[in-house]
Amino acid sequence: MTGLENISAHNGWAIVCVGVSIVVSGLATLSFAIAQLHKLLGLWDNRRNLFQKFKNRKENMESQETPVLELSLDVQENIRNFKLLTAKIGDPFSLPKLIEYSEKCGLKSPLSTINTLLTAKVIVPDGNGYFKWFN
Amino acid sequence: MDLLIQFLTNTGFYLADYRNIIMLVVGGVFLYLGTAKNYEPLLLVPIGFGVLVGNVPFFKGFGLGIYENNSVLHYLYFGVTSGLYPSIVFLGLGAMTDFSSLLARPKLMLLGAAAQGGIFFTFVCALALGFLPKEAGSIAIIGGADGPTSIFLTAKLAPHLIGPIAIAAYSYMALIPVIQPPIMKLLTTRKERLIRMPEMRTVPKRERLIFPCVAVFLCCFMAPASIPLLGPFFFGNFMKECGVTERLAQTARSSIIDIATIFLGFTVGASTQGDVFLTPKSVGIFCLGAIAFSIATGSGIVFAKIMNLFLKEKINPLLGAAGVSAVPGSAREVQLMGQKEDRTNFLLMDAMACNASGVIGSALAAGVLWSFMV
Repeated sequence: MTGLENISAHNGWAIVCVGVSIVVSGLATLSFAIAQLHKLLGLWDNRRNLFQKFKNRKENMESQETPVLELSLDVQENIRNFKLLTAKIGDPFSLPKLIEYSEKCGLKSPLSTINTLLTAKVIVPDGNGYFKWFN
Repeated sequence: MDLLIQFLTNTGFYLADYRNIIMLVVGGVFLYLGTAKNYEPLLLVPIGFGVLVGNVPFFKGFGLGIYENNSVLHYLYFGVTSGLYPSIVFLGLGAMTDFSSLLARPKLMLLGAAAQGGIFFTFVCALALGFLPKEAGSIAIIGGADGPTSIFLTAKLAPHLIGPIAIAAYSYMALIPVIQPPIMKLLTTRKERLIRMPEMRTVPKRERLIFPCVAVFLCCFMAPASIPLLGPFFFGNFMKECGVTERLAQTARSSIIDIATIFLGFTVGASTQGDVFLTPKSVGIFCLGAIAFSIATGSGIVFAKIMNLFLKEKINPLLGAAGVSAVPGSAREVQLMGQKEDRTNFLLMDAMACNASGVIGSALAAGVLWSFMV
């Protein structure tokens, strides 16, 4: 057998296609790997600076979030008062009712406090239009 | 008198036929080319003398011939049939290869990949000529322009063709100054040959140390059949770069590779007997070898031109011709061709990068072909 018949009979075309693909992709992968090598080594050499930068960024992000979580003493006192009120209203409670009761009791800045509690997820919705304390 | 007659009938003079004479002449030609013309003497001299020794007629059964068990030549030939000598040669090659230029310009590795196209094109041509797949694979690897790789793969796939394939491979490597320049000139314009490559960055020792580890991991995981060649190759390179085994690296790139080369060339020459070499198949092998070399050179150059369509910083397409594994012959030809156009254009280091990539590519292709044929 000779000619194209012999090539097809012995899977010549498949061998060529797959073989070329393997060789080219192998060397291309190696080429990509060594192209990145000096960059990775540069990162490794700079790892302490990078780690420090990452740590600083993380701390910055945490410090940006904590004002929401760090409640002032006034707010903390208001929380105690709100808890006493919700104990009377019942849990889960209606937010308008809580605001009405807190204004009647003369609590300082009830709307702003409730806003802070909602943002800090101290008070969370229960899915039925009422709210509850997040434990 | 009977004893004298018996002795005379056992001499080579009595037993010689025309095929022995022709092969002795072939061996003489190789010796002449190697010694007088200085064509790859480190290869042609052992092969040539091996051909002379291997084609001395003798009485079979005395344990003299290379194919007879328990003969000295047979024991030495074991290194060829088992693939031992090519692995040792690759160990030495790795210990003498500097990958700095390749690490500084990794995209040149793609030219080494493209040049292996000659191998697969020749595989198809060999099948078309009626060769069996294993024979076609052995013939095709001539296109890798790597003697040890050719011998390694042929020993595994078609050991009966080692003689003609080894001689074809080494002959064409010696003829690189004849084969490559016309192809380079045909496929490139003067403007392209004048392209200068930018200066390379300095590659630190750490990169040169990590590279063989990464390369052996990637290449051998991808094609485990290339372990016998690429494993020692990158091991030799690691020994060279680590700095703490300089003595071992020095031995690998001098004594060890020389010993392996001597026995490899000598036994390959001795295994080239007239009944295998002087056949129409050998003519086919030589023709296909020329095709393999030419296509490999051309495909590297063409791929470089294709890459230039997408690159801002153009590559000199001549570098594609150095993607064949013939170190440092093809790199030298690229340098000479570049300097013919512009005496101040130095392409040698970039060409060596492509050469090194070609060594890896041809070993990878051999591993792939071997895994397909097993």
